[in-house]
Amino acid sequence: MTYTKGLAVGLMTSLLASTAFAEDIKVGFIGSLSSDTGLSTLRGAEIAIEELNAAGGILGQQITMVSADTGEDVTEGVKAYEYLAETEEVDFIISGSIDDVSLGWLPRMQEFQIPTLDTWTSYIGIIDMVAEDPELMAPYFMNIASDEALATLYINFGADVLKAKMGFDSVVIVAEDTAFGQAITGLVTEALAPVAGIEVKDTIIYDIGTVDFAPIFSKAQSSGADFIYQVSSVNSQVISSQYVKLQVPMAMTGVNVSALGMEYWEDTGGAGGGISTLSPIPSVGFPLDPVSQGFVDTYQAKYTSRPVLPHFNGFNAYHGLKQAMAAAEEAGGFDDVKAWNAAMLKQDLRLEKDGKLWLRYGFWQHGEIEEVTQRTYPQNARFDLTAPYDDAQPSMVVVQWKEDGTVGVVYPFEYASTEFELPSWVK
Amino acid sequence: MNLRAHHVLLWGLFIAGLMVMPELVSKGTLRTMIFACYLAIFAISWDVLSGRTGYISFGHPFLIGIGAYTTAILSKRFDVPVEISIPLAVVVTMIAGLIVLLPALRIKGSYFALVTLAFMELMYQLVQVIRPDLTGGTRGMSGLQTLTRGALNGYYLAASLMSVLAIIAWLLMRTRVGTALWAIGMNEESVRGSGLSTTRLKAFAFLVSAAIAGLGGAFYVHYLGSIAPRALFDINFLFTIIVAVLIGGAGTIIGPIIGAFFMVFLLEWLRPWLPGAERYFVYGLIALLLYMFQPKGIMAILAGLWVRLKRVTS
Repeated sequence: MTYTKGLAVGLMTSLLASTAFAEDIKVGFIGSLSSDTGLSTLRGAEIAIEELNAAGGILGQQITMVSADTGEDVTEGVKAYEYLAETEEVDFIISGSIDDVSLGWLPRMQEFQIPTLDTWTSYIGIIDMVAEDPELMAPYFMNIASDEALATLYINFGADVLKAKMGFDSVVIVAEDTAFGQAITGLVTEALAPVAGIEVKDTIIYDIGTVDFAPIFSKAQSSGADFIYQVSSVNSQVISSQYVKLQVPMAMTGVNVSALGMEYWEDTGGAGGGISTLSPIPSVGFPLDPVSQGFVDTYQAKYTSRPVLPHFNGFNAYHGLKQAMAAAEEAGGFDDVKAWNAAMLKQDLRLEKDGKLWLRYGFWQHGEIEEVTQRTYPQNARFDLTAPYDDAQPSMVVVQWKEDGTVGVVYPFEYASTEFELPSWVK
Repeated sequence: MNLRAHHVLLWGLFIAGLMVMPELVSKGTLRTMIFACYLAIFAISWDVLSGRTGYISFGHPFLIGIGAYTTAILSKRFDVPVEISIPLAVVVTMIAGLIVLLPALRIKGSYFALVTLAFMELMYQLVQVIRPDLTGGTRGMSGLQTLTRGALNGYYLAASLMSVLAIIAWLLMRTRVGTALWAIGMNEESVRGSGLSTTRLKAFAFLVSAAIAGLGGAFYVHYLGSIAPRALFDINFLFTIIVAVLIGGAGTIIGPIIGAFFMVFLLEWLRPWLPGAERYFVYGLIALLLYMFQPKGIMAILAGLWVRLKRVTS
């Protein structure tokens, strides 16, 4: 009898628990669970959910999260999106996916019409899809400045610092043999060089498995260029540390993904000084406003494994998920995608530091034209390409690691915490 | 061809089982089955060539990719209806199959495998640099026309395609040509010595294999709605196809289907418990143990069980 009663109580409890669970708002994370960037988005979303739940949830419901690993693989990304949509039946998806993975699952998003926030992909082609078919792309928001906006401001760095301040006239590009490497190389060749008046002397492509960069640096030197532009996303600490250890007598800047994380110094064994890289905001070495600093404090108290400091997309996930939930609250949930889209477009979080607008989490509206590029960026993160950046933060910053292991922002000057300088061994 | 009544019955049961599946499983499971069906098609394609003739192809993603890219480019960039772009994709892939055949006329074994691997790598590089305005370059293309919407329709299409291709391949392999292909795998010189043209036989195998790969690739890309070089011309994709064949049982038609379903489902079933990269470790371990237990694959295990069952019942 006792056993039967116990079983009945157990069943009732399970039933009630499952009913309560079914009423929760379910968030799905899609991205790599084994990369620093993927984990940044996941953890940023987790902290935002904890804070929202502690404050009573939204629409009287608690928020839960499930994750689907993509392993940074395109096909796995499609499977992961399908899993979240049809097996887990999530209400909202937050993504820490890279370009081609996002492009892979986009047709599924269009089919399922699940509100989705991309925190890492910056491909302008997706924003073009939003502009072309706003109805089909209504569930999609990207809260990182698009790559075109990043590149546009980076050209200014080339002109203002590399050309005007350092006096560089020519460059040799050293790029990894990846989709990312080729895309950035194209941008540099077609935009940075001609606009900033810097001649591209040579382009050296290396395999991502390269362990000895001495011949590559030797070839770069023989090109006669003034500086090296490196494009490196896979094992980029290897090329950096060898540049330092070999004391290559040329300046080197560019895009170095490993230098975007605080683990960079440890990963290079302390041999990473002098390296500078373009970074979305907030980057390492970027002074934070009190709200974002609060997020970092919570993050560091909660997680002890890498990344010890969330990458920019962690901030995007933290603020973006709260904005998505606020939009759902206004729209009465996520089911009415049109209403959610309208409410999401209105989200505008302005974070100040020392009385100045420091970071802005808002979105470009449909039909709104950006002054410098003279084009629209509907449902893309708001950014400002013109100093003094009083409408929003710049689309990117350039950060530089110093030889003593410190890191700071060197460009734009309004956000700079240190000056761009050549390594001590470069004359 | 030596067709028996029980063959028809078994194939009928197999197809009936596939068709009734949507009544029994969730939409999420149907999505998994769709991927399993496409992997099975690619595995059958590989098995027709490599499982029979012994010419181990590492370049199969090259063929699948050509089929996929051809229809993707024609339909997306030139507004060619898919009713035309898909058959064209198959024809183009068959021509590409003949290109892969060329080295097979002179070399075999590991040399042939490496040359075909080079084809895949070459294509990976080419689609990124040659006319990226057409191929979508490094990021590929999204927003391609899809043939179906929803899990149910997608499943029926994929399962039907897989069934039709499996039956055609099975019938072909039961002909004298199929037997001759087996013989090439065992001793090519003897086949040549018996007066048969091994060049023609190999050309036949390459063309059939390429046609299946091209058709599968074309339908696959119109299921996904997107295409990226990293997704197709990838060593992991190649190994997935080969492992599906080996786990299921090479040289059979049902074996690669079983292997494909086993692999896709194992990974998806592990997802809720092991959402990260750990599931690949567990999956690899299970596949390895299975392969060590029975190198001839699941088909051999099932055949063994069938023999035991018959002994017990008699």
